[in-house]
Order: sequence, then structure tokens, then C-alpha cells
Amino acid sequence: MQLCTVTSDFPIDDRTIEACQRGDSEGFRLLFEVYKDRVYSIALYYFNGDEASAHDITQQIFLKLLTHISQFESRSEFSTWLYRMVANACLDRKRTLRRFLSFDGSRVDEIPEARRSIEDKVIQREREASIRLAISGLKPKLRMAILLKHFEELSYDEIAVILGCSKGTVASRLNRGHQILAQKLAHLRGAGSRDGILEE
Amino acid sequence: MFKNHVTHSLSSYLHGELSADAAMAVQTHLADCSRCRIALEEVRFGIRLVSTLQQVEAPESIWNEIHSASKMQNAAKHKMHWPDRMLAAGIALAFVLAFNLFLHSHVPNVPARGDLASWEVSSVRGTPRIGRLQLIGTGRLRPGDSLQTNADSEAAVRIADIGQLDLDPNSRIRLISSNSDQHRIALERGKMTARTWAPPRLFVVDTPSSTAVDLGCIYSCEVQRDGSTLLHVTLGLVALDFHGRETIVPAGAFCRTRPDGGVGTPYFDDSSELLQTALNYVDFGKDDVERARQLDIVLREARPRDTLTLWYLIPRLREPLRAATVDRMATLVPRPQTVTRGGVLTLDANMMDLWKAELERVW
Repeated sequence: MQLCTVTSDFPIDDRTIEACQRGDSEGFRLLFEVYKDRVYSIALYYFNGDEASAHDITQQIFLKLLTHISQFESRSEFSTWLYRMVANACLDRKRTLRRFLSFDGSRVDEIPEARRSIEDKVIQREREASIRLAISGLKPKLRMAILLKHFEELSYDEIAVILGCSKGTVASRLNRGHQILAQKLAHLRGAGSRDGILEE
Repeated sequence: MFKNHVTHSLSSYLHGELSADAAMAVQTHLADCSRCRIALEEVRFGIRLVSTLQQVEAPESIWNEIHSASKMQNAAKHKMHWPDRMLAAGIALAFVLAFNLFLHSHVPNVPARGDLASWEVSSVRGTPRIGRLQLIGTGRLRPGDSLQTNADSEAAVRIADIGQLDLDPNSRIRLISSNSDQHRIALERGKMTARTWAPPRLFVVDTPSSTAVDLGCIYSCEVQRDGSTLLHVTLGLVALDFHGRETIVPAGAFCRTRPDGGVGTPYFDDSSELLQTALNYVDFGKDDVERARQLDIVLREARPRDTLTLWYLIPRLREPLRAATVDRMATLVPRPQTVTRGGVLTLDANMMDLWKAELERVW
């Protein structure tokens, strides 16, 4: 698992979408490069670091895009359409996992972090694992709202369209989700960290 | 001041989603309310925790697999030159004609290539039937065909290229049409669960008592022997239509419909049993005195979240039941300042929408 060092921020405009709809492989590659890490990360954190699930969902989403992009109408935002597919795919897989496996959320896969001392790395990994575990313990509705807000910085209106609910419901889910995380991870308040992220 | 805590607005406040006036109101309240300040710090800490999550790079192997799949598709399309294709098409046509009778009288599970209107069906358990033919493994469902399961069988159906449908035991669906504008089936009996990833309003299910229009979601639909239908939405929204009257059912809610009574009132799956039973009579009961008594139970049992039910009941009730419902709803979730009791009682659309926006916070 590799952390991203470069964020793909190329805008995907109507011309890129039209090129993909005509079957232009370069256009599709651009689309893939812009969105692959975001889709993968959302799925990865949704499934508490389960790389196999994140891999499958990312592949499934882009294969669907490849075959269905002709159905996309530019009257709605492309990213809204894409993330609705991601949200549905995550829920779908969760249902399947629940049916066939006992998904106890106890995986603690590691996201490597370079350039830190060994102790710092261990502390950092433990903290990240705690946060991931707490997020994976949230109700799916709260979890997806939080991941869409964090990774995509979407507005509440955009998240509402993706999740098929009102803006007020999004606000309520984010409010509840963040409060639950704060309560579950209260022991991390003031936790020493060089970047001070968790320091009160 | 302290009656109007701002805990529900804190996330919006910190994410800059409030209007300047609303943000100012929150700020003013926070200055004097220690309870909300504590909640604010909690939400802020939650956001800070999430902000430590880093984006992870997707493995390159994903692109390679997608690329390979794409190449295989293209190769299959363009492999043959046109004279070869013509020859192959001739042979295939002869083959199809020769075997058509055999296929239709024995096994329905041979896919018709290029038949975009037909849907792939697989047997999940036992031997479902497409029409009179037994389905072993996979088969195709074409417009006009019925797919039926008995007590020992279940089936999975690909809804064209927009989703999937699971058909429970003792159920029957009929494919009405399937094209790029709309995919439509009739659920004649039993239960199905649909999951779609298409734009809204592309997948439509007719039942004996209503029409369910997918707005991008996961939901189940069950038709009982008397033709009544129970819809349960798990994700997203479903619009239920009965003679042009549309009811939007949100995630977590049920809605019942009956051939003689149309669409009932939506209610959340965690509402009390008393509420659900009483609501069933309010929706479909005939005796006005008893309906009033049952409505009283609904109002008594309603929690703030059950204002979903009350909001949909208001236009369906006459006075004095309507006023009682409006008043109860106001005690659960206060009306916005610009919404008057009189306006709601006369079903002023603007006021109804304004109040609904407030109610949706707790739905």
C-alpha cells in the first residue's frame, strides 16, 4: 500500500467525457488517473484497510465507467454520478460480505509512513489503525458521508445528491459521525504527534 | 436562547455550510452556551481525526486489468473482416433457425448475442422457470417473459447494464420493456430486492397497487396475495406513484400500497409496532370514528423522526384530524418562523416545503 505523494487535480471537463464516450482510450486513461486514488481510498477506508475490497471496487467502478459512460448526460455532475456508483458498490459489497463472512472489523492493515523514527511510526500506525477501525465501526450511512466529505471535499449539496438524501440529513450524519468518532477516540485527545494534528 | 441549542448545526458551521446569518446565530449562541461549546469541540476533534487519513495510491495492476478487459472486448468486436463476419453470420443464422425450436422447447439458458433487450438470469437455488421452461444455470429473460420461483428456488437477474435484482422464493416477475430510456418490470407476486447504479428514474417496477420508480438506490418490494405491496428502501430514494400521486420513500422507511386504497403513508422501520399498526388503519380503514382513534395512537407514538409519517399524513386528512396532526408535529419539530399554522392547514406548498426541510434533519 502506498501513500499518494501527488494529487491528481486535472479538471475533467466535458471534452474529456465526450472523448471517453467516443471510446478514446487516452481520455479514459486521464479519467482513471484523476479518480483512481480517490475511489480506491474511499473503498479502502470504508472497509477498514481491506485492500482486496478496495481493489475489487475500484476495478468494478472503472469497468462500469468504461462500458456505461455513454449513458452519462452532462446535465448532472460527472463526479456525482461516479461517487453514487462508489457508494452503491461499497454498500453492495458490504451486504455480500455480511452474507458470506463474519466481517468483524478487526483488520489492522498498515499504511506505511516514511521518514519517521521507528517509535513515531509505531505510534502513528497505531493511531491510524484506531481511526480506521472507529470509522469502519460507524453506520454505513455516516461512514460514507464522512469519507466523501474528507476525500472529495464535496459540498453538503453534492453529498446529498450522491447519497439520495437531503442536505439536512447530510449535515446530521456528519455531525453524528464526527461526534461518535470523537467519543470513541477520546483517548487520542492531546496525543503527542509531531505534526500536532491531534493536539488540543 | 437555551431552548435553541445549535448542536445539529455544528458540522455545517465548521465546514462553512451555513449562511452568514445562520453562522452568526450559531456563533452568538456558542458565546453563551457551554453545552454547545463542548459539543462544538467534540465535532471539531472528530473532523481533525478524519483529517489525518491520507489518500492511498491505487495499485497500477488495476489499470492493467481494466486495459486487458477493454482490449478483449475490442478484439471480440473487430477480430473478423467483413466477409468472414458475413459467412459467420450466415452460419449462425442457420444454426439459430435450426435450433430455435429445440431451444424454446427444452432449455432457455442460451444467451441470444446482440439481444440487448434481454436480461441475464441465474439460478441461485433450485430451478426457477422462465415461462414454462426450467432454468438450469443461466438463461435470458426477454420482454414478455415471466420469471418464476417456487418455495425451493431463487434467482438473480442482471437489470440490463444498470443493476441487479434478486428474486425470493414463491415470486414472479415479468419483463415489460428494456431500452436505454427505461427498464420496466411487473412484480406480480412475491418479493424482489433491487440494487441499481444508474441515473434516477431508469428502472420502474409495476405492482398490482402502485408503480415504484427507482431514484438511485437499494430497495425491496413484496407483493402479497391480495395485491397489496410493501416497499422497504435501504439506500437512496424510491418514488411510489399511484394515479399520478407521488410519494417519495427515503432510506430506512417502509411504505404499503393496496389495490383499493392506493399508496399508504411512509414510516420508518424503527418506529413502534403500535404506530405501524395504527397507521395501517388510518391509511386503509373505512370507519371514520375508528380512524380518528387510530390516528390518536399514531400521534402519541410518534417520535421526532416519525414526522416523516406525519408530514405525509397532513394532506391526506380532513379537519379536525389535520389540525391535530399539525399541532403534534410542531411539538416534535418546531415550525420555522416563516411557517404559520394556518398556512400548513391550507397546505401552502411553500410553507410545507420549508417545514419539510427542517424535518429532514431528523429523518
